Amino acid sequence: MKYLVFQLAGEEFGIQVQKVREIMGVQDITQVPQTPPYVKGVINLRGKVIPVVDLRLKFTMPSVEYTQRTCIIVVEAAGERGPMLMGVVVDAVAEVLSVSPGEVEEAPSFGHDVDTSYILGLGKVKGQVKILLDIDRVMTARELKHLELAAG
Amino acid sequence: MVEQLLARLDELGAKAVLTGAGAPETLRVLSKLEEEARNAGRDDAARSVEDLARAVISASDAEKDRLMKAGLENLRRLLESSGKAAAPSPIAQDPELIRDFVNEADEHLAEVEAQVLALERDPSSIDPLHAAFRSFHTIKGLAGFLDLQSIREVSHEVETLLDRARKRDLAVTSGLNDGVLERADYLKRAIRAVESSLQGAAGPDPPSVKILARVRAALAQREPTPVVAAERESRAPDQEAAAPDPSKDQEARSDKQAGSTLRVDASRLDYMMDMVGELVIAQSLVSHDPQLRSLENGSLHRRLNQLGRITGEVQRMAMGLRMMPVGHLFSRMRRLVRDLARKNGKQVRLETQGEETELDKTIIEAIADPLMHMVRNSLDHGVEPTQERLAKGKPAEGCVVLAASHQTGHIILRVSDDGRGLNTEGILKKARERALIAPNQSLSENEIFHLIFLPGFSTAEKITDVSGRGVGMDVVRRQIEGLRGRIDIESTLNQGTTFHLRLPLTLAIIDGLIVGVGQERYILPLSSVREMLRPTPQMLFTIEQKAEMAMIRGALLPVVRLNRRFEIPSAVDNPCEGLFVVAECEGRRFCLLVDQLLGKQEVVIKSMGEAFRNVAEISGGAILGDGRVGLILDLNGVFREAVHA
Repeated sequence: MKYLVFQLAGEEFGIQVQKVREIMGVQDITQVPQTPPYVKGVINLRGKVIPVVDLRLKFTMPSVEYTQRTCIIVVEAAGERGPMLMGVVVDAVAEVLSVSPGEVEEAPSFGHDVDTSYILGLGKVKGQVKILLDIDRVMTARELKHLELAAG
Repeated sequence: MVEQLLARLDELGAKAVLTGAGAPETLRVLSKLEEEARNAGRDDAARSVEDLARAVISASDAEKDRLMKAGLENLRRLLESSGKAAAPSPIAQDPELIRDFVNEADEHLAEVEAQVLALERDPSSIDPLHAAFRSFHTIKGLAGFLDLQSIREVSHEVETLLDRARKRDLAVTSGLNDGVLERADYLKRAIRAVESSLQGAAGPDPPSVKILARVRAALAQREPTPVVAAERESRAPDQEAAAPDPSKDQEARSDKQAGSTLRVDASRLDYMMDMVGELVIAQSLVSHDPQLRSLENGSLHRRLNQLGRITGEVQRMAMGLRMMPVGHLFSRMRRLVRDLARKNGKQVRLETQGEETELDKTIIEAIADPLMHMVRNSLDHGVEPTQERLAKGKPAEGCVVLAASHQTGHIILRVSDDGRGLNTEGILKKARERALIAPNQSLSENEIFHLIFLPGFSTAEKITDVSGRGVGMDVVRRQIEGLRGRIDIESTLNQGTTFHLRLPLTLAIIDGLIVGVGQERYILPLSSVREMLRPTPQMLFTIEQKAEMAMIRGALLPVVRLNRRFEIPSAVDNPCEGLFVVAECEGRRFCLLVDQLLGKQEVVIKSMGEAFRNVAEISGGAILGDGRVGLILDLNGVFREAVHA
């Protein structure tokens, strides 16, 4: 299985390559009111309006200024009504990596502090750990609704 | 489908317990269930509902409940067993082919309808017979190929009938026409059943052999009809045949058009529209590039201009791809008028004008229902029975006109009849009875006409089974307004009524007002904006230091500050440095405070997808001239949420 590896606050994450549609630099993002802070807004992807999520904020990491290396990875995630495109903002894209099933370990439970529901598993490659994400679950409409309810 | 029937069954059970098995409410639900089962192609269930109803009605009171209980169980078993345990139907095998078949068969059946109606106008012409024959032949072939036996066999029988007619072996009579239309209707239902079995994994069975048996029986009964009718015809000289048929040319033309059309997947079309939108933006960015502009190069500028013209043309063409002539919709009404006129025993002629007027396919689909309702209304309440018309000195035959025309970016649809006209006194009386207006309120004629759009208003003395059944003109108005359209009435007593519908050409584009708040830009739909003004301190009031109001021309309106509403920084704090947009939605007005007006622009509405469907304030997005996304505000949502907050 091939993964696109990217960095977030010094940690390395992986997304299945077949979920990735394209990688672009940060462009003008239009904010959408009444949404949680990690929803940065929407962008124009060749005529389509797609949402953009900041993964640092999503994973409650400290936010940073966007730089030249900051990227938007456009992924195709499973929505409630079929596939939907969305962009995720990451610190930098590192590489494409093959991870064999034998190198993947199930995410251990960390109790209440760490939400592991969107972690597919932990990949151990050359002594390093990559956190493999289930992008379908990172931002689903259901979760968004849930968050909105929680917020107010 | 099965789920729907089961839900109805539950309702029935509840009604039977609450009101008694023999109560009218229960029987009403029972007949509804029967109708739904039949529509779903479940004639087995429909028949057993019918049996149950008969048994319950004739049973003694003590028996009724027991019978109902047993009948309900029986039905549930029947519905559930065939819903799940149906043998894998051939439909599951190639959904792609089936979908094509459904589309194609629908087109052919619409064609059949048009041809039969043409045949009615001129029974001597042979072309409609050929065309209808070809349509059934095609359906038969496709159905045979897909192993849809009942559809194949019914098409085959009609084909045989038509073949005999075109060989002049069978006279063209109203009996034959009715028979063909009936079969076409049956096929339509069968095709709907096929379609729904495509959608749900465990949908209803494809039309069963039992249905076919029923149709066969109907066919057998029908067989002698043409003969009887033929005799009738030989006695009465055919007057209709003598009249030249002006619509013939037109039908021939639409025939040709149908031959050269191409079906394209809607998502491809949408994608192309997206790309064309991007092309226009890219072109405009290039040709307005300051560096390019400053170049003293004549041929470069000529080529840029040429590029601009071509881009504009491509955009116009792309927009036009979604457009369809409204004539197709009109011909569906032709059938309705024919059937209703017969049913009511009235003589009514339908005239259509401007069939070639084009508008967006989604709008055509959305206005079919309201239009149908208005036509029904005209036939039921507008056009008088023949005797009454003659007594009034009017021609015996009533006339309903459907007309379409373009008017400055809108389409105007007109539905008019030469019937009774609206009776202002009758309407006023009814409105007062139902307390829709104050007893002494005085209204202009136009205001009186508009009372018929109020919910709970129906002047029909008796409720027929076509109009006045639950849905009224209030629903029509709601549907039209939902399309950002408007409806007006013109009426003269005893001369007739005309409804004017004004609709946008497309739902894909709106006239937008672009406003700025701080760093953000928002698009307001112009159709909801009444006026814009710079507030003065005298206008502003606060209520309990919290709610803000503005007095504008004597009206006290609530003020919503968009920046506070969206919790974003604004460039102005004092409202008098900003701009008031007076918006109206669902009959209520309010003032929206924004920083400034940035411009007015037609924008293509883009869906924001499911991620934002809970954001009530935003109805969509649009790509602005610089390629960035602008948010289109749902003013209703903005106001509603502001009140709740």
